[in-house]
Amino acid sequence: MPDLIEIRQVTKVFGRGATEVHAFGPVDLAIEAGQFVSLLGPSGCGKSTLVLMLAGLLERSAGTIRIGGKEVTGPQTDIGIMFQDNTLVPWRTVRGNVELQLEMRGMPPKPHADRVMSLLRAVHLEDFAERHPHELSGGMQQRAAFCQAMVHDPRIMLLDEPLGKLDAMTRERIRSDLQQLWMQQRPTVLFVTHSIEEAVQLSTQVAVITPRPGRIDRLIPIDLPFPRDLAVKNSPTFVGHVREIQEIFRGFGVI
Amino acid sequence: MASVLSEEPSLVAAIQGAIKQSWLFIAFFIGFFLFWEYSVVIFDIPRYILTPPSEVVRNGWADLDRLLYYTWITGVETLLGYVVAVVIALPLGLAIAFSSILRRTVYPFFVCLEMTPKIAFAPLFISWLGFGLLPKVIIVFLVCFFPIVLNAILAFNSLSEELTRFCRSTGAGAWRTFIKVRLPAAMPQCFVGFKYAAINATVGAAIAEFIGSDQGLGFYIQIVTGNMRPDLAFAGIFFLTLLGLSLFGAVTLAERLLIPWHISVRRAAGT
Repeated sequence: MPDLIEIRQVTKVFGRGATEVHAFGPVDLAIEAGQFVSLLGPSGCGKSTLVLMLAGLLERSAGTIRIGGKEVTGPQTDIGIMFQDNTLVPWRTVRGNVELQLEMRGMPPKPHADRVMSLLRAVHLEDFAERHPHELSGGMQQRAAFCQAMVHDPRIMLLDEPLGKLDAMTRERIRSDLQQLWMQQRPTVLFVTHSIEEAVQLSTQVAVITPRPGRIDRLIPIDLPFPRDLAVKNSPTFVGHVREIQEIFRGFGVI
Repeated sequence: MASVLSEEPSLVAAIQGAIKQSWLFIAFFIGFFLFWEYSVVIFDIPRYILTPPSEVVRNGWADLDRLLYYTWITGVETLLGYVVAVVIALPLGLAIAFSSILRRTVYPFFVCLEMTPKIAFAPLFISWLGFGLLPKVIIVFLVCFFPIVLNAILAFNSLSEELTRFCRSTGAGAWRTFIKVRLPAAMPQCFVGFKYAAINATVGAAIAEFIGSDQGLGFYIQIVTGNMRPDLAFAGIFFLTLLGLSLFGAVTLAERLLIPWHISVRRAAGT
């Protein structure tokens, strides 16, 4: 199977001359379709920068990025994207926000009503479809944002610390919802996080990123069955992966 | 019948709730006017300096025809100046927000002008254009224009980075992005400008009339004060306040109708 995403020698440098900051790279990464890859690294290592460059929302300083064999030169529309601060608009209901994704693409929302509702049901928001974002908790808002990012059935999902602002218990619950959704729909996911456990629990592969300028230190395949419930998380393999990654970060001096 | 019966207690409860919440304010309000009423008698203040509110009401009522007519005159000046300011400032703010050339030329110019007191131009406009309606409309326009245009620029420039990226990732064109995201997102900040301008509009009209006019509430207040009639001056101030409140109320109502979601968002945020 050919790789869906090919990242070659990609580098990002901010500023020029004396104020130049080498933020990221060079990085090589190849991702097969249907994989769930976590970019795991300390704050400021440039994980988000890579996601933005992949989405075509930020120009790279050097290197090539190909999606499905086609070079990324501008904003990619065949992706679903999520940020730490969600992109729900306050004037629309939860359903309206999910439909906004369709309307922005010139797709009438009516024929897709079933899909919208089934997505909301998958994240337990079916009873909140007609509520506005400010009436929801932070966790529910991020669930709604998942639906918004997935409703157009993208091949690729770029999730930039979507759980970053949530409390630990809410994170735990949404993680399992996210895993369910991924298992059902099987998009290719690039997931940015700085939680080791989160990365190991969700991913088929974990890319461990060094401190700035970020480089991929190691690509660790996580060979554990899905869904990864509490039993899996207590297994020696899981704990072993977490330890292994902790050792790497200790080597960097970040923990 | 059942529904009427069930609604009645809730209405009574609502009124009781309102009284419970604001009785202190109402008491203070009544206390203030009682103090005013009797301090004039107790401290033996001459009536040409200060008149009790009861006389303001009585004498104002006697002069109601003139007061209402002048309220109409000042109201037309205020409304015309305000509406013209909205009609010009809003699209201009939009243009400045999206054009880098305008942002580097007109915008700093407006920021400088915002610092100058617009009222200071009033004598010039009166001398150029005479005592009629036009110079007053221009003064009101000047007073209202800057808060609206500056808030509009801020409004259309302040879409969050995440939403901007979201819009770009959908591949939507500029027009669709504007209608579906940028315009509604900008409305609350635009209304900040609309409301601020509404508060100041009557100030502009009144001062323009002080400087040169033969009708209107500003003219009235000046003339009756000259005739040692503070009672009528207060009556004029009352109608001027009423005018300002009406305009502000209308703008607030428009905000409620146009962006009902914003009020509940603001309430949820506790601001």
